[in-house]
Amino acid sequence: MATSTDSKGASRFWSFVWELRIIIALLVICIILSFASDYFLIQSNLINVLRQVSINGLLSIGMTFVILTGGIDLSVGSMLAFGGVVTASFVSNAYKHVPNLHPLLAILIGLSAGVALGAVNGLVISKVKVTPFIMTLGMLSIARGLTFIYTNGMPVTDLNKDFLVIGQGYIWFLPVPVVIFLAAFILAWVILYGMKFGRYVYAVGGNARSARISGINVSFIIFMVYVISGFLCALGGILLTARTSAGLPQAGQAYELDAIAAVVIGGTSMTGGKGALLGTLMGVLIIGVINNGLDLLSVSSYYQQVVKGLIIVGAVMLDYFQADSDR
Amino acid sequence: MSKLIRSLMVMAACLAVMGCLSQAGEKVYRIGGAAYGLSGEYMKLWATALERHPAVTQGLVQVTVFDGRYDASVQQSQFETMSAQKYDAILFVPIDIEAGAAAVATASAAGIPVIGSNTRVNSDLLTAYIGSNDVVSGYLEAKAVIDKMGGKGNVVIIEGPIGQSAQIERLEGNKKALAEYPNIKVLEQKTANWSRAEALALMENWLTAHPGQIQGVIGQNDEMALGAVQAIKAAGLDLSKFAIAGIDGVSDAITAVKNGEMDLSILQDAVSQAQGALDIALGQIIPNYQPLSACWKDYADMKWEGGKLKVYDVPWTPITKANADEQWAKRQDLTSR
Repeated sequence: MATSTDSKGASRFWSFVWELRIIIALLVICIILSFASDYFLIQSNLINVLRQVSINGLLSIGMTFVILTGGIDLSVGSMLAFGGVVTASFVSNAYKHVPNLHPLLAILIGLSAGVALGAVNGLVISKVKVTPFIMTLGMLSIARGLTFIYTNGMPVTDLNKDFLVIGQGYIWFLPVPVVIFLAAFILAWVILYGMKFGRYVYAVGGNARSARISGINVSFIIFMVYVISGFLCALGGILLTARTSAGLPQAGQAYELDAIAAVVIGGTSMTGGKGALLGTLMGVLIIGVINNGLDLLSVSSYYQQVVKGLIIVGAVMLDYFQADSDR
Repeated sequence: MSKLIRSLMVMAACLAVMGCLSQAGEKVYRIGGAAYGLSGEYMKLWATALERHPAVTQGLVQVTVFDGRYDASVQQSQFETMSAQKYDAILFVPIDIEAGAAAVATASAAGIPVIGSNTRVNSDLLTAYIGSNDVVSGYLEAKAVIDKMGGKGNVVIIEGPIGQSAQIERLEGNKKALAEYPNIKVLEQKTANWSRAEALALMENWLTAHPGQIQGVIGQNDEMALGAVQAIKAAGLDLSKFAIAGIDGVSDAITAVKNGEMDLSILQDAVSQAQGALDIALGQIIPNYQPLSACWKDYADMKWEGGKLKVYDVPWTPITKANADEQWAKRQDLTSR
């Protein structure tokens, strides 16, 4: 028992050092950019960056839970689109065949739609034991198809002004999407580090068998992480809808790549059990800051993709390096 | 000689038709609509218009629309399917000007006429093409933006996916207009992949990098122009101080023009491109066919000429505040289920 606590303490220590490394990387990138562009380090730009990362941020939080259990969720972009258009349809004056509801009610329906899709993922993965990759790959297609069926392939427009506040409004000086992202992050932090559930998520990803033997309801934990992911995707879709003033059925395509990238850059191991939410936040910010910085510097988007790819591979290489030194 | 072959073919076709008639009462032609992808509003309108062509609603033609899923190889296999099933004609909207040539060759080898629609394809085997010249739309939108700016100031260009023919040709048109006005400076030019969300972030970053310096936005499609509108609104800036134009005439853009948020959207006529293509196809397979779509009456410049021309040019319709209401009503009519 004592040794297991020790090794846990050691891995906690290493993950702490690892988190610091990413923070340092983020700081270095920010310092370089603030020398390269006069407009990087100003309040309005930093707020822009936060607003631009808030949607990927929400997806990445959910993705962190999923990857911590050793799973993967490829369907995030499609679930985002579905949650977005469902919500939009209930606040659209152009959609005559569904009632025009109070924005909060519409948001609740949209969130439920995301939860439902996530629950299907979770059920099939935890009970039928279809591998997460296959199930969520299927859901990527299913949810996108449902989105097109629901909207007949057309954007849902003419949205209620009160609803748009959630994407375009401010609370004090912070944009609403940023506030929602930060709130979701803090809540996720509490769940992951302040509750038994969080410890179980790590335990399931570390070794599902020993987790089961020690009395953890493994399939419930696995079910729940996909529900959380579905919920956050729908929330992201709702924010995107309010931000662009339209429920776009083709929204969120390839968003899973950025979410996985943020988690991986953040140092969470793809095999599960190891990683940290703070790392994911840093990963999200690194991707956002690079996209923003390269726009400010008028660098072609081609380079943007190369840089992002290099950072992903570099981060994983460091991960292996760390794993080696652990042994 | 070729006349002889042709008349033989016509006779053969007549015999075939008569054969069918005797069997099933009236021959129903099977036409395939090969759309590059049905995720966007534009192709959705195209497909809807096709299915509402009088020849389809009257039961003369059975139309099947294929979703190319933005992938040339998917379109290729769909052509193989249609050729194997001996479709009477194919209406083809290729994902790319170069990528569709092999697909056209496949159908041509099976003796099926292929009518290009909306996007050209580099192939001699194409029976005919109906579409709108993207260079013209690029020129018109840039000109409108420059005119509103009074011929001087700074613009940004939000481009389509680099290398797609619409992006290449619209940019050519943009540049043609810009070349006429040396006092216009292009501050930034970058792709947002036809996406509203991408254009929104891009424009936010540009507004930060060039505070107070951008007066014009040339969006190579409406979705991206709308993203720029959102960014300008989000930054708390006055939209009326910006000249903003887009292309395609999607529903949201018509609304934005009505509300004065956008200055111009150039309507690409999906109805005429789809229904015109079907008429041209029927003109190829039915002797003395008279076109049924209303689109031939809509434009004085687009003449039927017996359905035998190689290229039909569908004119663009600029949507400004003056005609936005009328265009909106037309669109409502098309999108109502």
